Amino acid sequence: MRYKVLTVDDSKTVRIIVKKAFKAYDCEILEAGNGVEGLAIAAKEMPDLILLDVTMPVMDGVEMLTKLKSDPALKAIPVMMLTAEGGRDNVLKIAKIGVRDYLVKPFKEETLLEKCGRVIDLKPLNDAASKAKSIFDPADILVVEDKPAIVQQIQEGLKHTPWKIRGVSTQGEAIDQCAKTAPDVVIVSLSLPEESAFTLFRLIRTNVKTKYTPVFALVVKTETVQQQQAQTLGFSAIITKPIDTADLETKIAKAMNLDTSQRYYATEQGCLVMRLPENCSPVVIAEAANYLKPKFSDAVEAGLNKVVIDIHQLRTLHMGVIKLLFQAMQICRDLGMQFTLVGNAQIISECKGFEDTRGWTFYDSLDEAKAGVSRGASATPQLAGVG
Amino acid sequence: MPATAEITETLIRDHINRAVADVFKTMLGREATSSAQIPRSDAEARSGLEGHRPQVVGTVGFVGDINGLIYLHFDLAFARLGTCHLLGMTEVELDEAGDEVINDAIGELTNMTVGSFKNALCDAGYPCKLTIPSILRGSNFSIESIGQAVRHIYYFDCAEHRVVADILIKSED
Repeated sequence: MRYKVLTVDDSKTVRIIVKKAFKAYDCEILEAGNGVEGLAIAAKEMPDLILLDVTMPVMDGVEMLTKLKSDPALKAIPVMMLTAEGGRDNVLKIAKIGVRDYLVKPFKEETLLEKCGRVIDLKPLNDAASKAKSIFDPADILVVEDKPAIVQQIQEGLKHTPWKIRGVSTQGEAIDQCAKTAPDVVIVSLSLPEESAFTLFRLIRTNVKTKYTPVFALVVKTETVQQQQAQTLGFSAIITKPIDTADLETKIAKAMNLDTSQRYYATEQGCLVMRLPENCSPVVIAEAANYLKPKFSDAVEAGLNKVVIDIHQLRTLHMGVIKLLFQAMQICRDLGMQFTLVGNAQIISECKGFEDTRGWTFYDSLDEAKAGVSRGASATPQLAGVG
Repeated sequence: MPATAEITETLIRDHINRAVADVFKTMLGREATSSAQIPRSDAEARSGLEGHRPQVVGTVGFVGDINGLIYLHFDLAFARLGTCHLLGMTEVELDEAGDEVINDAIGELTNMTVGSFKNALCDAGYPCKLTIPSILRGSNFSIESIGQAVRHIYYFDCAEHRVVADILIKSED
C-alpha cells in the first residue's frame, strides 16, 4: 500500500525537505501552501498523514486543524504539527484540538521519519539502486557479537562473497552503526550481556530505517529457550553455533531476496550450463530446483537448445542430487533441448551402482561436453525410460 | 506578565545565541558561534550591517505581550551555500532554480531562528506569535527603526562567513 502524506506549509523549502526525507520510502507526498489548499487536498485525496505548519497566510494551521477536526469525513486523518511555534502554552492549546504528534522546527529528517513511522508503516522502496539484487552485488552485514573469534569466523567463511562484514561488540555500537547506514542484514548474538540482544532487536524494529532489515539470532545449538524467545519476538532466522557458514550464506541471500540462480546456471558459448557445487545439501538442492524450470524455459525463449549439466565438482552422489538431475533431464526432453554431462571419476563410478544412472555417459571436461552437445551427442540413451 | 523592561540584554543574547546555534547545527550541519569581535559602540555595530557586498536578509516578527522584529543578515555566498545544503542541491541546480529558492530558504531559516527565540520568550512569560517571513536583498542598504525600539546586534561566525542578528524590541509605552 502506498501511503499519502500531505505537507501543508507556506515555505517551499520545508515542503522540499519533507519530500527529500521521504524519497527513499514508498510514499506519495502531496503539497499545500496554506490551510485552504490543505483542506481541499485532504478532502480530495484522503491522505494517511498530514504534516501541518502553524503560521501561514490565507488560513493558518490552527484554523485548518479546527476545521479538519470538525469535519466527520476528515477528522480521523492523523495530523502532526511541524512548526516553529513551540511555546509551551501554544503547544498545549494546539494539542487540545487533536494532534497525533508535535515536531518543533528546526528538525532533523531522521526525527521526522521516526515520528511519522509511528503513525504510518513506512516501507523503504524495494527498487532502490543501492540494494543488492544478486549474489554478486555488495551488501553490508552487521555482526553484533562480543566474541571476536566468532566475528572472524563469519568474515572468513563469507570472504568469497562481495559482502562487507562489520563486527561490533555492544548494543550501543550497533545502534550507532545502524544510524549511520542501515545494514542489509544484522546478526545478533543472543549471548550479549543483560539480554541486550532482545533490546537491540526491539530498537531495530522501531527505527524506521531498519524496521524491515532482516535480523538473525546467533545462539548456541543447545540454548533452546533463547531460540524460542527469538522466534517469538520475530527474528528473521536462527543461526546456531558452531556456525555452518554455507547455511548462513544461503539464509542471508534468502533474507535479502537475492537472485542466487547464477550459482547454478550460466549461459556460456551458446549453451546453458547447469552447475552443482561440491556439497549439495538439501538447502542447495532446493535452491537449484527452484530455478530449474524458469532457467531452462528462459534459455529456450532466448534461442538456446543445448544444456551442459556439470557435476564434476560434486563430491558424492545421493538421492537428492539424482532426483534433481532426473528433473533437469525431463525438462530438457519436454522442451526439446539436447544435453550432456560432465563428471569426475568418483561420480562416474557411483553412477554405475544405481540402476537408473548406470547408462549415463559423462565427459571429462566442460569444453568437451560443450563440443559434444553441439555435435548432438546424448548423455542418456535410455532417457525415454527415465522419470 | 513581567514588564518587557525586565528582559535583560543577557537574556536576549542567551536566547539568540542558542537559537542560531541550534538552527544552524540542525538544518545546515554547521557550528555557528558568537563572534569574538564585538562592536565597541552602537554606531559601530550598525555600520557593520551596512556592508557593500550582496546580502540576503530574512525578517520575522513576533507580536503579543512583547513585540519585535529580527533581521538575519547573510552574505549572498553563504545564503547560496546554506540553500544548497538545506535542499540537497548543487550550485548549478540552484542557478537554474533562481533567486526565489534562496529567498524561501533564508526566509525559513530565519523563521526557525526567530521561532526558537520567540518560544524562549513565551516560556519566560511573554506570550507572542510569529509573523510571516519576508526577505530583503541588496548590496548597499541600511535598516533604521522608527519610534521607540531597543536594538541589539549580534555577530556570528559560521563556516568562514559572518551572520548578523539585528533584534528590535518595541519599548513599553
